[in-house]
Amino acid sequence: MIDLLHNLVLGFSVSLSPMNLFLCLVGALVGTLIGVLPGVGPLATIAMLLPITFGLPPVGALIMLAGIYYGAQYGGSTTSILINIPGESSSVVTTLDGHQMARQGRAGPALSIAAIGSFFAGCVSTVLVAALGAPLTSIALLFGPAEYFSLMVLGLCFAVVLARGSILKALAMVMMGLLMSMVGSDIETGQSRMAFDIPELSDGIGFVVVAMGVFGFAEIMRNLEQTESRDVIKAKLTGLMPTWPDLKAAAGAIGRGTVLGAILGILPGGGAVIAAFAAYTFEKKMARDPSRFGRGAIEGVAAPESANNAAAQTSFIPLLTLGIPPNAVMALMVGAMTIHGIVPGPQVMTKQPDLFWGMITSMWLGNLMLVVINLPLVGVWVKLLQVPYRLLFPAILIFCSIGVYSINNAPFDCVLTAVFGLVGYWLVKHDFEPAPMLLGFVLGPLMEENLRRAMLIARGDPSTFITRPISGSLIGIAVLLLIVAVLPMIRAKRDEVFVEE
Amino acid sequence: MSESGGGASERASFIRAPRDFWGGLALIALALFALWASRDLPGMRGFAFGPGTAPRMFAVVLGVLGLTVSITGLTTKGPGIERFYFRGPFFITLSVGLFAWMVRPLGLVIASFLSILAAAGATPDARLIETLIWGALLTAFCCLLFPVALNLPLQLWPNSWEPAAILKSLFEFR
Repeated sequence: MIDLLHNLVLGFSVSLSPMNLFLCLVGALVGTLIGVLPGVGPLATIAMLLPITFGLPPVGALIMLAGIYYGAQYGGSTTSILINIPGESSSVVTTLDGHQMARQGRAGPALSIAAIGSFFAGCVSTVLVAALGAPLTSIALLFGPAEYFSLMVLGLCFAVVLARGSILKALAMVMMGLLMSMVGSDIETGQSRMAFDIPELSDGIGFVVVAMGVFGFAEIMRNLEQTESRDVIKAKLTGLMPTWPDLKAAAGAIGRGTVLGAILGILPGGGAVIAAFAAYTFEKKMARDPSRFGRGAIEGVAAPESANNAAAQTSFIPLLTLGIPPNAVMALMVGAMTIHGIVPGPQVMTKQPDLFWGMITSMWLGNLMLVVINLPLVGVWVKLLQVPYRLLFPAILIFCSIGVYSINNAPFDCVLTAVFGLVGYWLVKHDFEPAPMLLGFVLGPLMEENLRRAMLIARGDPSTFITRPISGSLIGIAVLLLIVAVLPMIRAKRDEVFVEE
Repeated sequence: MSESGGGASERASFIRAPRDFWGGLALIALALFALWASRDLPGMRGFAFGPGTAPRMFAVVLGVLGLTVSITGLTTKGPGIERFYFRGPFFITLSVGLFAWMVRPLGLVIASFLSILAAAGATPDARLIETLIWGALLTAFCCLLFPVALNLPLQLWPNSWEPAAILKSLFEFR
């Protein structure tokens, strides 16, 4: 306990430095600014803004990125509530009740309850991250290559099971990501693999290139297809603060959402999206009168918003302690850390305590800033939502182009990003979800390395993954998970086959 | 709009879920391509992995999954492929390609301005005058943000204004 306090003090001494405080503020502000744009989620926002953190010291850069992440997430909720277009998948459920509240002239309370819920969830989960960081790090020390490999398998299985649509297709996407990550030099021998003597490929395909292509450019191509019909709430936003009964009604929902989100966030593969869905469903089941949901129930905004923020935060736990990104956004954070020369994992906490604790405390500050800056700025965001898409997308596009180019000063990277944009567009048209692909892409090199080492230690005996207790149970959970997810699907498919014609 | 691909699936009625079928086939093609591309990488040496082991392993699994996906496309019914719009993807790719081509020889200002103009072609809503003004504003903003405020090493203008030198630099890659 004393240790925890001591660490938090160290953390605040880093994050409260004027420079870092400023970076956190700018991150949250810019993150919200971009995140508010319809169809631009946290993933695209972080990918887009990553280059602006290159020139900063590592601690500052990560604090700013964390700020951008929360900002983007909050910006997504604002879009959901005000124009019924979820800025990102984790705020899809917020549209259900949030937009209804806005239509009833209660956009103010909806936005502020989202901010208050997020802030509460942020406070709780910051403490959780701080408290769980140390014990989990000591667990990480028990992990050998076999355990790491199995843990990543489990993470990918979670990602597959939780992806929308067909499990088979999500698995195929993971494999595609793993395969793409093999391009570049082999870790052990340095031999060039599948790079076709293109010098820019000798280091592998950049993850920003993949992320920005598949999420940024492909998203623009998709958005251009839809004719503009935005239902921006024009009514004046009066009465920003929720009333006392509102707060009382939302309090329980915020608490339950926070707990649910915090748990789901730690699990690999899940993250904010599933947390928001689960919290909403749970509230609806708990409610005395479930029919109010979908018609502007304040609990329907409070619960998912708290849950997705709690999950967003606790998903840093596996990243910071085990070095394994539990979802696509965290995968992007790994990339950001690598660019700054930090290898995520248990050694971060012991070797760079200022970075570790500074980042954790800045999470809390980031949440505080969201409440402080966003509520007064709601009017500005509404204005921004009225900017037509024909002006927005060239701006997004050129920022992305310059951003990708500036990573390596390589025009080739821009071309490759455009290609991945087309790939992403094609994937979406064929119902393939790109998020598991990105996770596979980031985990690929790590998985290969640990697989190779584990096989070498076991002298080529693959049963090592099952016979070692920790690894065996992780694999067991992964298999169980896939079976549970696939069984009902097979039954449904078979029924469909028999029913057809 | 979403069902406009349905015509094709009715003609070839044995493909019941075209998204799965063609998607799976493409994955198989990708897997075969990867197998071909990694053909000369050494594989297992005793029980140690070689550089080629993991890529081939992933490629084989991807191929099998792709095959399964396209078989499900034959057995279960699914929605037809949504219509592809060529205008958006074409102009967006063009815009990024132009930027990549010009940013080194011509500098950031010209490259971003032309890239923004090309991007505007992606939507029929774009208006000429508005696009020109907006392009100029955005270019100015980018030049202030990236090289000045963020201190990224980006060249703003071409090295020389000689038409011959510019032409030459445009066709000199790397």
